[in-house]
Amino acid sequence: MRDDGYFGQYGGSYIPEILFNSQQQLLKEYRSAMADSAFIEQVQQEMQEYSGRPTPLTHCARLSAQIGGAQIYLKREDLNHSGAHKMNNVIGQGLLAKRMGKTRIIAETGAGQHGVASALVAARLGLECTVYMGAHDIERQYPNVFWMKQLGATVIPVTTGAATLKDALDEAMRDWSASYDDTYYLIGTSCGCAPYPEMVSGFQSVIGHEVKTQALKQFGQLPDKIYACVGGGSNACGIFMPFLEDSTELVGVEAGGRGPQVGDHACRFNTPQARFGIAQGFSTRFLQDDQGQLLPTHSISAGLDYVGVSPILADLADRGEVRMISATDEEVMTAFSQLAKNEGIIPALESSHAVAGGLREAATLSPDQHIVINLSGRGDKDLFNIARALNDQPFNTFLRTYLDEEENR
Amino acid sequence: MKQLTSFIQRKRESQPILLMTHVVYGYPTIPESLEIMEMLLKEGVELLEVQFPFSDPVADGPVITEACHVALEQKVTLNQCIEDISVLASTYPESRVLLMSYLNPLIQIGFDHLAEKLSPSISGMIIPDLPIDHKALATPLNDKEIPIIWIVTPGMEPSRIQKIADQAAGMLYCVSRAGVTGQTNSPIDSLESYLNSIRALTQLPLAVGFGISTREDIAMLENKADVAIVGSALLRAFHAGGIQQVKRSLLELKGSNA
Repeated sequence: MRDDGYFGQYGGSYIPEILFNSQQQLLKEYRSAMADSAFIEQVQQEMQEYSGRPTPLTHCARLSAQIGGAQIYLKREDLNHSGAHKMNNVIGQGLLAKRMGKTRIIAETGAGQHGVASALVAARLGLECTVYMGAHDIERQYPNVFWMKQLGATVIPVTTGAATLKDALDEAMRDWSASYDDTYYLIGTSCGCAPYPEMVSGFQSVIGHEVKTQALKQFGQLPDKIYACVGGGSNACGIFMPFLEDSTELVGVEAGGRGPQVGDHACRFNTPQARFGIAQGFSTRFLQDDQGQLLPTHSISAGLDYVGVSPILADLADRGEVRMISATDEEVMTAFSQLAKNEGIIPALESSHAVAGGLREAATLSPDQHIVINLSGRGDKDLFNIARALNDQPFNTFLRTYLDEEENR
Repeated sequence: MKQLTSFIQRKRESQPILLMTHVVYGYPTIPESLEIMEMLLKEGVELLEVQFPFSDPVADGPVITEACHVALEQKVTLNQCIEDISVLASTYPESRVLLMSYLNPLIQIGFDHLAEKLSPSISGMIIPDLPIDHKALATPLNDKEIPIIWIVTPGMEPSRIQKIADQAAGMLYCVSRAGVTGQTNSPIDSLESYLNSIRALTQLPLAVGFGISTREDIAMLENKADVAIVGSALLRAFHAGGIQQVKRSLLELKGSNA
């Protein structure tokens, strides 16, 4: 990264002038915090004692045998407190917000995992918390909304636009414009104006550093390939970045959704609607029409249907350091079932994209090769979507009975 | 570049303040938005700011954001927008028309093409997410003497105001309060000293916007600023009673200036 927040042609800071001071203050404080060993120790301590790091690297012997190719390992970010990698970033930024003397944090969330993680860390650090979430995502991910509220956060539904993550991000930026004196904007993925992409990726790179150590210990070499799902890109950046100088191939898996038509997927690579753009405070590859309007997206997973992507990943893909593939909703559900039934692990739908991409390619490799799939989160939050996708009628009957009983109570 | 400045200075010789009204191109439909613009120009607004809608207008509040999203359903194009407002600009030479939009639609059409299309009928360009530090992106506008109207905000360091003022042309857009357009939170306590501090650094006319919605708001700015900018308030008037209500609101806003 360059000092001005660019990664190749991507990144930078394109924010309304009203946010210039706040952005500069953040940049300065972040640099100062990163040079302060006491701050870094505090972050590491919270990651260990509050979130439960290091997370394990799990060998999937049965799944590997069933696929008949490479040895498959999972990096278990689902075992973080809150059930996702999101905790790594909110611990870092939450402590930075405290260091800056802010009393309130705002966050935007798609699947809700970042919202829950933000609400958790706000409660732990004694900060007020407001979470913006697309109304459409609230419908898909209500269990997470429920937990945010129990943690004392205010959840604001965003009804503008497509009512998904990009619209929640717009609203959070508007809030920040009016409240920057006492408020810290806690971005959940490695997007946004500088220094957010670098900062989020930095806090998440604990994932890749642990994998390096664990791989050497568990199978005596670095992985041949690493797979990570790519929405905004924070878990992918986190596991990829420590491997940039190594021979390990890095593979990002995007949301192929229902298919290649406009509005049916969220692929910012390898599709004609994805190209360079500047929006939401930074430049990257955005899905957009010929007038430069950002397009609607779809994924079975609310956490992956962001219209842009981390400028870090856009640059790494341009330079051939990361290969981008995609998995359709259907492939994702198959991968979900394969992992659950063979290994007793219930992955989040986001992570199931990485599993789908990894299983597809593992089959073409030899048994003496090793792949690592970043299991970015656990699937509890996706209970309703998964039940719907699997057309599980007993689940629907259970819900009806539960609601009837509640109404008659 | 000096054309917009001299226009404002000439008008100000006989008026305590000028009015810049804001319209979203294509809202609620393209013909109706043009009808609103024509009415405003006919009624003598000195400056008309036409927003080409963007899907993610992060510096705008809910009223303008919603208008942008509705306008986008009309399949608006930037080329057609420029052609339509250029006709209006030529028809009403006693007013000035400015174009406002966000960076992404502009970089997709390309600043070279934009500068060719805009010249010479459009008097300025407002781009809220283009920081002065990236002004090189818009060099073709500069080459065609189309001023970019830079934005200054409360709490901005004097050195940054100076940096902006040194490179600005046409006028300066002074944001009256923290936040986005259309908010009704109080203006900063020290509005007068804020404007005076900017005035001390530039000879350019000062336009003040964000949250200006009543005749009283405008009266408060008389002889402190050169232009009052009204946006969301007229959209709210449109929602309340269509174009006739916009006209009534405009006359009310102009008060003794009508």
